[in-house]
Amino acid sequence: MATRTLETERIHPQPSQRRDRSLALEIDSLTKSYGDTTVVDGLTFTVQPGRVTGFLGPNGSGKSTTMKMLLGLASADKGQATIGGIPYRNLPDPARTLGVVLEPNAFHPGRSGRNHLRIQAEATGIPASQVDEVLRLVDLSPEAANRRVGTYSLGMKQRLSLALALLGDPPVLVLDEPGNGLDPRGIRTLRDNLATRAANGDTVFVSSHLLSEVELLADDLVVINEGRLVAAGSISELRNPTALVRTTAPEELAIALERIGGKVKRQDAGTLVVEGLSTEVIGEHAYREGVVLHELSLHEGSLEEMFMAWTGDAASANPSISGKKEVVS
Amino acid sequence: MKNAQLVRSEIRRLTTTRMPLAFLVVLGAMAALNAAVVAWGADADGTQTFLSTALDQRSLIAFSANSVIIAGLFGATAVARGYGHGTVVHVFLATPRRLRAQLAQFTAVALGGAVLGLAGVAMTAGAVAAVLPTTDYAFLISTGDMIRLLAASSFAGAAGALLGAGIGALVRNTGGAVTGAVLMLVIAPPLVVQIAGGAADWIPPTLANVVSGVSNEVTVLVAIAALVLWAGVPATIGLVSTVKRDVV
Repeated sequence: MATRTLETERIHPQPSQRRDRSLALEIDSLTKSYGDTTVVDGLTFTVQPGRVTGFLGPNGSGKSTTMKMLLGLASADKGQATIGGIPYRNLPDPARTLGVVLEPNAFHPGRSGRNHLRIQAEATGIPASQVDEVLRLVDLSPEAANRRVGTYSLGMKQRLSLALALLGDPPVLVLDEPGNGLDPRGIRTLRDNLATRAANGDTVFVSSHLLSEVELLADDLVVINEGRLVAAGSISELRNPTALVRTTAPEELAIALERIGGKVKRQDAGTLVVEGLSTEVIGEHAYREGVVLHELSLHEGSLEEMFMAWTGDAASANPSISGKKEVVS
Repeated sequence: MKNAQLVRSEIRRLTTTRMPLAFLVVLGAMAALNAAVVAWGADADGTQTFLSTALDQRSLIAFSANSVIIAGLFGATAVARGYGHGTVVHVFLATPRRLRAQLAQFTAVALGGAVLGLAGVAMTAGAVAAVLPTTDYAFLISTGDMIRLLAASSFAGAAGALLGAGIGALVRNTGGAVTGAVLMLVIAPPLVVQIAGGAADWIPPTLANVVSGVSNEVTVLVAIAALVLWAGVPATIGLVSTVKRDVV
């Protein structure tokens, strides 16, 4: 994808012509079972406009099913999913409201990329001129667009998927593994484009297995495991930074810090891990107590560590938010 | 968005792959086979009396029975492959009211079946007419009868395509849908006729021949109504299935 295009240009640049772009995705008590297996279990969360929200979960955790229910492709047994308060199937102009990337291989191999876009444009009442526009946006050359999709690489198919999603210049994007198959430049450009869209007030909901990618891409996270919400919030909140303290008087300092609300884990001799207090507060209290510190450092868990904690032991990883409605803001 | 737009989009979906071409090739091969029969075929006595009257020639050219079967396979393939390739997701994302989207697709498929039926009889008539001068007989079919053959084959093609489309929407797998269409149009009817002889008048090939005017087991209107029923029942089941079941 060319940086010049995706990062800065929009299909309809005039603000006066823009529709309301502040549409939140609301997932409310969503439940879906296949036979005896419950794949989504009372899932509740909100994806706010103006943010890029990452959607994480292990394989089979219910991410794709949740997206399908949001898009009206699968029915919910209980609960509902809405876009700006309206179920997808009731949206007056779905293609201009929500763009979707679900599977990069959902194309007929014998049809050209351009014809896939023209069919979609025709079905949704979008002018055919937009086809060339989105092809340029995703950096698919006219020659490539005229070729049969069967000859495309995975990355080219992914660009075509993105072109389909962007065809109606929608204010909401729901993307399942959008970076799949893209080269590093394409991923970088995609990331920048999504950030620009979010900065313009659009709603961007991205599912991915690439934690490092999500870490760079997303402002907020929704994490599910076995169909249940296990974490939701801004990445900075969820990181839950801890302070590592090495001291000659660990017990004395631990008691002092617990007294002012710190959550202290005693590790090996002389080492404490403190949650809920800044390094400044810890240092000041150590000074007041006359405790000598050998180390005082801030430690933020990586997204991978957090993900493993959330999904390794499901709800117990963060019981305070499991099963509750968490507004991602 | 207008329904005509949706149908146009579905027609583009049908015509932007090589599938219609493959069916046209099959029709061409069948026309060539008919021409070969005219050129080299003979009755037991070595003559070609099977070409001697207008009715004989109409019976040879009448393509309606073939139209039902070929268009049935076309309809089954056209609808089921969308599930196989996953393109059906794009269809229902563009038009989340699935009944509307599926009706548009069925309409396009029925039109495609009609075109195949028309092309089938036109190619056969053309091939036969081209070879007839090599025989002792001229082309004897009147314009009126020719128009009826064309119309009947188109109608039979549309009905067959709709029947296949219904099976495709229900089965959602190209191999399974084609098998279903073959079972329903080719394998099951003769078996049913063996069990109940009276059923022979009501199987699609017989009804199509009645509409073409080369057979008279039932009246034309009854044959048309019966063919509509043959197409309408699977199509309705397919529509209900599309609306009720999850897309993926």
